[in-house]
Amino acid sequence: MKYALYIFILLGVFLACRKDKVGYKATPYILDIPSHFPDMIIPSDNPMTAEGVELGRFLFYEKKLSGDNSMNCATCHMPQNSFSDPNQYSTGIDGIQGNRQSMALINMGWENFFFWDGGKTTLEKQILEPVINPIEMHESWKNAVKKLDQDMAYRNMFFRAFGEGGIDSTKAAKAIAQFIRTLISGQSKFDVMYKYENSMPLTAAEQSIFQTIDVEEWAGYDIFKSLDGADCFHCHNGPLMRVKKFSNNGLLPNAFNDLGRAHVTNNPEDNYKFKVPTLRNIALTAPYMHDGRFANLDEVIEHYSSGIHMSSTIDPLIEFGSQGGVQLDAQEKYLLKKFLLTLTDNNFVNNPKFKDPH
Amino acid sequence: MIKLISAIIVFMFLVTSCKKDDVTPPATQYLQVDVIPTYTNGGAMKMNLDSVYTTPEGHQVKFTDVKFYTSTLKNESINLLQSSLFDYRETGGIMLRTSGDYTKFANLQGFIGVDSVLNHSDPSAFPNESPLNISNAGPMHWGWNPGYIFMNIEGKVDTIPDGINNLDHSFSFHIGTDLYRRDFSFTNLNWLKISDSERKLNLKLDLWKFLHNPISSIDLKSEFLTHTASGQQPLTEKVISNFQQSLQPY
Repeated sequence: MKYALYIFILLGVFLACRKDKVGYKATPYILDIPSHFPDMIIPSDNPMTAEGVELGRFLFYEKKLSGDNSMNCATCHMPQNSFSDPNQYSTGIDGIQGNRQSMALINMGWENFFFWDGGKTTLEKQILEPVINPIEMHESWKNAVKKLDQDMAYRNMFFRAFGEGGIDSTKAAKAIAQFIRTLISGQSKFDVMYKYENSMPLTAAEQSIFQTIDVEEWAGYDIFKSLDGADCFHCHNGPLMRVKKFSNNGLLPNAFNDLGRAHVTNNPEDNYKFKVPTLRNIALTAPYMHDGRFANLDEVIEHYSSGIHMSSTIDPLIEFGSQGGVQLDAQEKYLLKKFLLTLTDNNFVNNPKFKDPH
Repeated sequence: MIKLISAIIVFMFLVTSCKKDDVTPPATQYLQVDVIPTYTNGGAMKMNLDSVYTTPEGHQVKFTDVKFYTSTLKNESINLLQSSLFDYRETGGIMLRTSGDYTKFANLQGFIGVDSVLNHSDPSAFPNESPLNISNAGPMHWGWNPGYIFMNIEGKVDTIPDGINNLDHSFSFHIGTDLYRRDFSFTNLNWLKISDSERKLNLKLDLWKFLHNPISSIDLKSEFLTHTASGQQPLTEKVISNFQQSLQPY
């Protein structure tokens, strides 16, 4: 009985004196979200941290992720092109080209679907793909992780980002996703126009920009929105300049007969539908469409004006499709292009936080 | 002394181990409102998006999108919900799901559309879960001052007399702006019991009545487009009026 009591007291003392587990905590990262944007929903299993974002930036520009150490994410998502590829099709390490244009990485933190066909539903899942794709970086994650693990700097960065030792593909994808979520564009002339149109207060800096918006740019915005004009806003509106949908926008099927969204859903009603992209920084992201068929904005405008190809899955919002398009005259095309140029955000493409840290 | 201490310890152990959990509060009651779109004369058969139907004139028709907002849902002074967005393609037949006591909502009033104050608020400022948040509204917000599209019905119809049934003509009804917000008032509602904690109300959206209203039929050959723009008032008025009449308790 006496021993039992001693054991009991000892246990009590032991439990009372147990220290909490000391754990390393990464620094929370506060995203700089423009005031006129909705909140960005961050996955609960991948909170934003300063260390995670920094690691993600290193990995985004890390060529060790490719089979021959020659490519990184930025090879096909170049900062100066608003993180897109100026080539019609990107070329992988084995010289093989894909059949879709690399999408621009802008405001991806607000997206729910990735790739032109929406084949992935989280950024983390999407990031895993290009590394192992034989026509892109053509590397196994096992090898890529091994190469990273041989670098003490990476071992330390992974520890600082995740609070534990060890490198794996999941952590790498999470870190890159964190970095990509920081690629926020919301400081173009258009943003000032949008805020003004929605009666939102302008800062002093925005007031200055407001003064520089000329009559032609406003006229172009009117054409952009006008039902009797270019009628663009059905698919490209709001602060993110896109709606969440897959749409057949009247393109002739290409040589690959790419069915787009139907590849994912197996639903013929989705034939030739592709993700509606943002128009932000559109002047920097040529060539255009899922297959990069249009080399410049003039060709894009001409498509919607007179080049619509009718088909059974064409978006009903291509309302003048049966007459070939919205039939803009030369002046309207000029003004529309003037407006599209207001979507360029130079602060975004020149942001030092987005540059190659190597 | 040792015996006494031992007894106290054992007594405390028993007391703490026998502590009851807190009393479980009553389960939250949930209310769900479903909308069942139909497209048959008499409105008995459910309409499926992308399925091809035949108009009374013999034209093939299919609906590709049915969406609408309701707001300020209440029974007199008892509020149910600020707003709801019905999106047939994205969320199936569910118009809203919220906590509430069905006995307080034997009647339900509200707007088809968005209350004027909400309609002109910053669409990014609503809570993330609000249907009015721009992330959730998506194409149901015009992106500038007119605010939200209250009602959106899109589809395709084969009214072009080329002898080919290929549904090569689109129709698109986008109604918004404060002027075209409409009231609804449903009485004597039948909330179906789904479980002890859940009740459901079914509404019918009779798209046959919407298009082929005996008093104000929409002729898809010539009346296939309105975005509530100036010059489109007659069709806009007809569309929202027909829609208002087509939405009723099942």
